[in-house]
Amino acid sequence: MPRIADVSIPESVTLAARQGDEQALETVYRATAAPLYTLLRRLVRRPAIAEELLQETFVDVLEHIGAFEGRSPLTAWIRSIAVNRALMYLRSPWHRSLEWLDADPGRMEDLQSESPAAARSSEPGLDRALMRLPAIARAVVWLHDVEGYTHAEIGTALGRTPSFSKTQLARAHARLRDLLAGAETIKEGTSCTPA
Amino acid sequence: MHTGLSEWSGRLAALAEFEPPPDGWDAIQAARRLRAAGESRRWPIAIAATVLAAVAGLAWQLQSTQRELTSGNSLAADPAIVAGDTVRAENARLEMLLAALPEMRVMRGSTAFTVSQLEDRLAFVDDRLSRITLEPHAPEHAERLWRERIELMNSLVQVRYADVASPL
Repeated sequence: MPRIADVSIPESVTLAARQGDEQALETVYRATAAPLYTLLRRLVRRPAIAEELLQETFVDVLEHIGAFEGRSPLTAWIRSIAVNRALMYLRSPWHRSLEWLDADPGRMEDLQSESPAAARSSEPGLDRALMRLPAIARAVVWLHDVEGYTHAEIGTALGRTPSFSKTQLARAHARLRDLLAGAETIKEGTSCTPA
Repeated sequence: MHTGLSEWSGRLAALAEFEPPPDGWDAIQAARRLRAAGESRRWPIAIAATVLAAVAGLAWQLQSTQRELTSGNSLAADPAIVAGDTVRAENARLEMLLAALPEMRVMRGSTAFTVSQLEDRLAFVDDRLSRITLEPHAPEHAERLWRERIELMNSLVQVRYADVASPL
């Protein structure tokens, strides 16, 4: 799975996009939509919210592309907008009430079965375990382990300290291990059941 | 089995990708037009935001007496002396306090209205914060918004605390 930071946008396309060229902007969208959407799905879990955040991110890109100074890759700039939007959503009262609804075990199963990525995954157990983590812990894991954010960057983005990020990461890894070990136990138990 | 940091990175990065919506680009263009249309209605929104801020201020004033009574666990934050990381730390502390308060299934109509106004205002500030990196003088604006967020969170915690302390 390519990360958004691994997507290479030709210099000529970036230049045209900065000048507001619609075709270049669409090329940028098509090159980055899948990894960006994947990042958002990992952060917010709900498909409809991730789609809305993807949309808002690119509307921001279209409106503010003139402010992009080119000091960092265009993809990094776009990713920072998406991450910022997703983390603000996770902090919102609206999200808190949805999390309360998701505490219902039946609803959690629904959300997991909505994920075709889990079915296609090389490690469906890990996919499911990741989606069972609390939102902030999942965000810290994904931003640190996959997107390569530092603890200082995560702390700033979350309005917390780097130590908070480190603690969250250690706890999330431990929780992932527990969830994977639990899944393994169930699998072993099932294989012992006579056909 | 112990899983090292780099191994987690490798395993997580190898998970399958999600497919974005097929009509994404068209939806973005439509959303852009909608947002542009909304810009022309900016004045009414600004007036509404001012009214909401006044409501938040009023709620804060109404709850200040209660805050004094609970000064052993003071929730007060003087925006003038809070700066930089301290602002975010205070915000995090208020988030934790709010999360620790039990959800009330029934609350007074006036309380529900105030909570709803404060949450709307918080959503508005959060939306502004999510776009702030795109604006000139972003750090100064972000600082101001974080302070505003703290004041709103303070009010929300006060209102919720009062509701929990004296249920119907």
